[in-house]
Amino acid sequence: MGFNLTVNGDRLTSAADPATPLVDILREEMHLTGAKPVCREGFCGACLVLLDGEPTPSCLLPAALADGREIRTVEGLAPQGTLNCIQAALEDSDAVQCGMCFPGMVVSLTHLLTTRPDATRDDILMALTGNICRCTGYERIVEATLLALATA
Amino acid sequence: MMSGSPIQNIPVSSRDAPASIYVAPSLAAARDALSEYGPVGAPLAGGTWIMRSPIRHEPLRTHYVAIGRIAELTAVQIESDAIEIGAAVTHAALAAALDDLPEFAGLAAAAGGSANPAIRAMATIGGNLATSEFFAADCVPALLCLDAAVEISGRNDHERIGLADFLAVRSTLAPGRLVTRIILPRARRKTAHVRLPLRRAGDYPVAIVSLSVSVDAANRVQAARIAVGSVEPSARRWPRLEAALIGHPLDAAAAARRAAELADEFVGRDSVDAPAWYRVSVLPGLVRRAVIAALGS
Repeated sequence: MGFNLTVNGDRLTSAADPATPLVDILREEMHLTGAKPVCREGFCGACLVLLDGEPTPSCLLPAALADGREIRTVEGLAPQGTLNCIQAALEDSDAVQCGMCFPGMVVSLTHLLTTRPDATRDDILMALTGNICRCTGYERIVEATLLALATA
Repeated sequence: MMSGSPIQNIPVSSRDAPASIYVAPSLAAARDALSEYGPVGAPLAGGTWIMRSPIRHEPLRTHYVAIGRIAELTAVQIESDAIEIGAAVTHAALAAALDDLPEFAGLAAAAGGSANPAIRAMATIGGNLATSEFFAADCVPALLCLDAAVEISGRNDHERIGLADFLAVRSTLAPGRLVTRIILPRARRKTAHVRLPLRRAGDYPVAIVSLSVSVDAANRVQAARIAVGSVEPSARRWPRLEAALIGHPLDAAAAARRAAELADEFVGRDSVDAPAWYRVSVLPGLVRRAVIAALGS
């Protein structure tokens, strides 16, 4: 039995076991290594992807429930190699540190900018409660997001 | 010298993969499948607990029945005398559905403030109630304060029991049975839900206090339900504190004093994130915060 996934616009199939976490399929089968399996508990946010447009921890999503869904990973957030609004703001603000948490940060903040163009600083902090940065570089990330909101 | 075991990032190959995950299109189909699978099957809703089984060194079941796409389990029905919550309603959806209902402010806070946004969009109310090993569930104490009933369905029958009774038997439910709905009577009351995570948000709470009170025109407490979560393995009500508040003005400092006098009835649970004594010691402060929140609701 296989699963049909649409990943970054590409229609792909996987023969993984049904409980295989999506993050393992993305990384091991599709070689999309942006999503990181760090805590595997839904705490850290490093494995977030957009599932039908919603930030979702891919470590907790079994293959069977990803079947037929629209998945967008961090690799799919810069079409034609052009950084999206939050990616550009993060780079301009020198907010990128070790890179472990960043794919998840970008996924959460891409969703926030898409759905909440009026977001406040508190909204940004709430949106990032599921993204842990062990470099503790939150303030630059928040400032970059405010910049992206102001210039979007 | 290091102690304990390092956290292992478990590769796919070492997982005990189940034979199947059946995505049920209807409740009837889910009940049939669970009945046929018997003890080797289990429902799977949001998956936020089951998918972490390898982390807990627990084997997965052989068969799962995914219930998250069943329309009748993902609806919140709001009637004049009661609301009914499908077992597969997510925390995020529940918080949104209760947004305009002040009498359910405590439950809305529980559902809307647990875990983090992505988990709230996956984790379900039924999973929160049915997972007996998850001691820090936010919705359980909130629902205990609302006189909640739980509907449990099998292939050919269903029954409705009070939430406290359900909590006592949930780990021994017969194979093939699953939680299908939570029913809450409506009433005029003030409710609140406060929690103490180690960080401001995102962590499991060290302790939880949920509160539901009715007061008369002079602000005297006529009825009170107070529940404590995360302190002991299962959330439970605090009848002695409830009784102590009846007939007195609803006052945060006074309620906290009575809570301090009565807190020794709790036997906290030790864990890596907080010692037992600490969970108990924060209860008076949480009671004070809960009363303040209720007075403002």
